[in-house]
Amino acid sequence: MSIDVQPVIRTLTQDQLNAYADASGDHNPIHVDPLFAAATPFGGTIAHGMLVLALIGEMMYAAHGQAWLASGRLKVRFKAPTRPGDTVTASAEPSREAGGTCEYAVQCANQHGEVLIDGRATVAP
Amino acid sequence: MTSPARASISAFPRGHEFPETTFTLTSEVVSAYLRATGDGNAYGAAVPPLCAVALALNALQEQIALPEGSLHTGQEVEHNSPVPVGEPLRLTGRIAQRSERQGFVISVIEFEVSTASGLAVRARTTIMAPGAAA
Repeated sequence: MSIDVQPVIRTLTQDQLNAYADASGDHNPIHVDPLFAAATPFGGTIAHGMLVLALIGEMMYAAHGQAWLASGRLKVRFKAPTRPGDTVTASAEPSREAGGTCEYAVQCANQHGEVLIDGRATVAP
Repeated sequence: MTSPARASISAFPRGHEFPETTFTLTSEVVSAYLRATGDGNAYGAAVPPLCAVALALNALQEQIALPEGSLHTGQEVEHNSPVPVGEPLRLTGRIAQRSERQGFVISVIEFEVSTASGLAVRARTTIMAPGAAA
């Protein structure tokens, strides 16, 4: 039986992008330099994909604990940029269960309902 | 992110193996990661897996330049065992796939993070980078 996975909802800020750049070592100016980013097709800074994906990791670990660390699988596509000020909801819907492995359709969406990340996660609880 | 000492990711052929390297994720590094992501979970002596993936990617980028306009378009992660805080981690990686489309080079970097006990995390990162003529 699939374990209920509670959504994670968080509003991302530029300060958070800056802190993530320091923590991860990824100081690409598209994430941390508003002047640079304003001149790109994005028109402003965007969050690191791995920062947004971290919400899915947080959500799955909160639901499955050590089983996630020992058996979790995640496969996602980054579909749209996340901008400072966006409120991101990470969610998971059970999609299949076979051989003791639970599969979920996972996604991150912004406050407009735009899908930022989508994919699948599996775990053997 | 570019550096004259590093080649663009677009220049690496399929099958290219990056030199093995080691790194350690200290409790300070993990704490900074958790503060930055806002993750309030308690991981105990384990590193959040996506922290290990992000820092491994950063270590690989010491060998790879990502040209302006590069996009991280996909990510796969397989967790095999918890990544311990403060222990040396072995990082191996390669270009698993490479294709070209509409002036962009699409590369899949496959890499493994291992402990002394064996494989902890395997990941595949898809990067779309402007080609030389783009």
